[in-house]
Amino acid sequence: MKKNLLLLPFLLLSFFGFTQDVKEIDSTAVFLLDKMGEVIGDLESVSFEANNSADELDANKNIIKHYSASVLSFSGSNKLRIRTEGTKGKKGMFYDGSHLSYYNFDENNYITLEAPESTLEMIDKMHLDYNFNFPAADFFYPSFTDDMLEQFSTIKYLGSEFINGEECHRIMATNDEINVQLWLSNGTYLLPKRFVIIYKNKSNLQYESTFSNWIINPNIPNSTFDFLPPPHAKLISILKKS
Amino acid sequence: MTTISLNIKHKLGILFVFVALVFPSELLAQRMGHRSSRGGSRSMSSSRSMSSRPTKSVSPSRSINGGHKTANRSTKKATTRPSTSRNKTTTRPSTSRNKTTTNRPNTNNVKNRATTNNTKNRKTSNIKNKKTNNIGNNNRVGNNTRVGNNNVNINVNNSRNTRVNVSSRSYNRAPYRYGGRGYYCHRPYYYHPYRPFYWGSYYHPWGYFTATLVTTAIIVAIVSDNDDDKEEEYHYDNGTYYLKTPEGFVAVQAPVGAQVESIPKEAEKVEVNETNNYYYGGAFYEKNSDGYIVVPATAGTIVPNLPEGGEEVKIGEQTYVQFGETYYQPIQVDGKNMYEIVEVKEEK
Repeated sequence: MKKNLLLLPFLLLSFFGFTQDVKEIDSTAVFLLDKMGEVIGDLESVSFEANNSADELDANKNIIKHYSASVLSFSGSNKLRIRTEGTKGKKGMFYDGSHLSYYNFDENNYITLEAPESTLEMIDKMHLDYNFNFPAADFFYPSFTDDMLEQFSTIKYLGSEFINGEECHRIMATNDEINVQLWLSNGTYLLPKRFVIIYKNKSNLQYESTFSNWIINPNIPNSTFDFLPPPHAKLISILKKS
Repeated sequence: MTTISLNIKHKLGILFVFVALVFPSELLAQRMGHRSSRGGSRSMSSSRSMSSRPTKSVSPSRSINGGHKTANRSTKKATTRPSTSRNKTTTRPSTSRNKTTTNRPNTNNVKNRATTNNTKNRKTSNIKNKKTNNIGNNNRVGNNTRVGNNNVNINVNNSRNTRVNVSSRSYNRAPYRYGGRGYYCHRPYYYHPYRPFYWGSYYHPWGYFTATLVTTAIIVAIVSDNDDDKEEEYHYDNGTYYLKTPEGFVAVQAPVGAQVESIPKEAEKVEVNETNNYYYGGAFYEKNSDGYIVVPATAGTIVPNLPEGGEEVKIGEQTYVQFGETYYQPIQVDGKNMYEIVEVKEEK
């Protein structure tokens, strides 16, 4: 009997380990995320504004907030333009389907890099190779809902709330590292209104972005995405992250 | 009281349950490793892998992201979701695809027009790599056609002369971190454009080529343990160092260990680790009984000007001037534009 009991811990351990993987997924939240994904997936072009705040730790581990406002324009699967102005300066990114140019207005210098043929591949590559950040890029991945389901152990629908006079659905997703809260506008189009990321393991640093002025399927001329260096702007080199 | 006796079959059964329950969790963990990467600002994903990027994103769809996808939805989660949602999911891709078919010709036409002409002619940035940039940067010296009328392709590897000694002072400022490295400076970043400085009529920038040297030029003695230094023949004339090559002489970065009797009067005093060095033409000198000896740059040293031969490099959100292994951070001291030598530390 004692020998047989030795096997019991293994059995219990198996059950205990397996139950940790059980997820708490709210079907309403998933439905809303899917619906938002559909709306974004059906867009042929879009432009909107994003007001961002990002926490950073200084040398003494004090939280410093940085603010920025971005205007983003997507067109087709291979055109993107972002203009960002904030406490870290004024920058512009221009992607025309073959090259990405990053222009620093304050320094009047720029880099131009050959880029993949689609916006999402370009975003991935540039983030991976050079740490470029693209505001709100998370929402534009076609597998957004699947990615959420994969990465978070709980996804909950928290009800509806008003943000800047707009009724929004609130969703919260959590895992061991982060807590994400999304507000999806309950207007004509189910589009993101605000999202907040809280980094649990990094002093609860927060990143927040609020979206406004969505323009659905505008006719944006291709020349908008071409970068023409301003007078005396200097083409400089860039160091790869690794 | 009844006793429970387990025979070998029961034991194997328990082991089977153990194995069956443990393996799925490992499979899940493996799946996590292949999940989609995120390029978003403050991304929600901690894992970044290109491998799982949906192939659909490269399709010439008019949709900004190729249409919403739910291909990775596992059956486990699907059971918790309303059936209406699932039905929509399955029909959605075809709708999106139909739409893209009708619009595709337009997209292709635009793309071809826009890219085929531009791709070839557009000047792109020089991409530097942490592992290879040291030598690559110095090759620039030989390819510099701006100076003189030479087109001689001379590749001079001067990287050993651009290594930086660490600062003895501790840093009160947090470093700028990028790509696993910390870029330490005592003063804050203050950008000003890099404009090479010319020290005087005798000064020649790096890369300057001449077939013959003036009679005042002298062969330089190199005080060094490095055999390569002794094999190469350096000449010195009024603050400029020339490396002898089969074609002639090319101006180079001052070789560390070069001993000269005098340096130009334009040389400036700079403070290095609480002692004074002399700075001229991008080289640092220490005074000794025989005159002056070229010493490596020391992190934290502030210099007012930089010579030709540097390269502005965007490192994360900052722009440094790089000479081989030396990075100079643009700073401002009492309203005057200057540069501080950066101490680069690997941080992992």
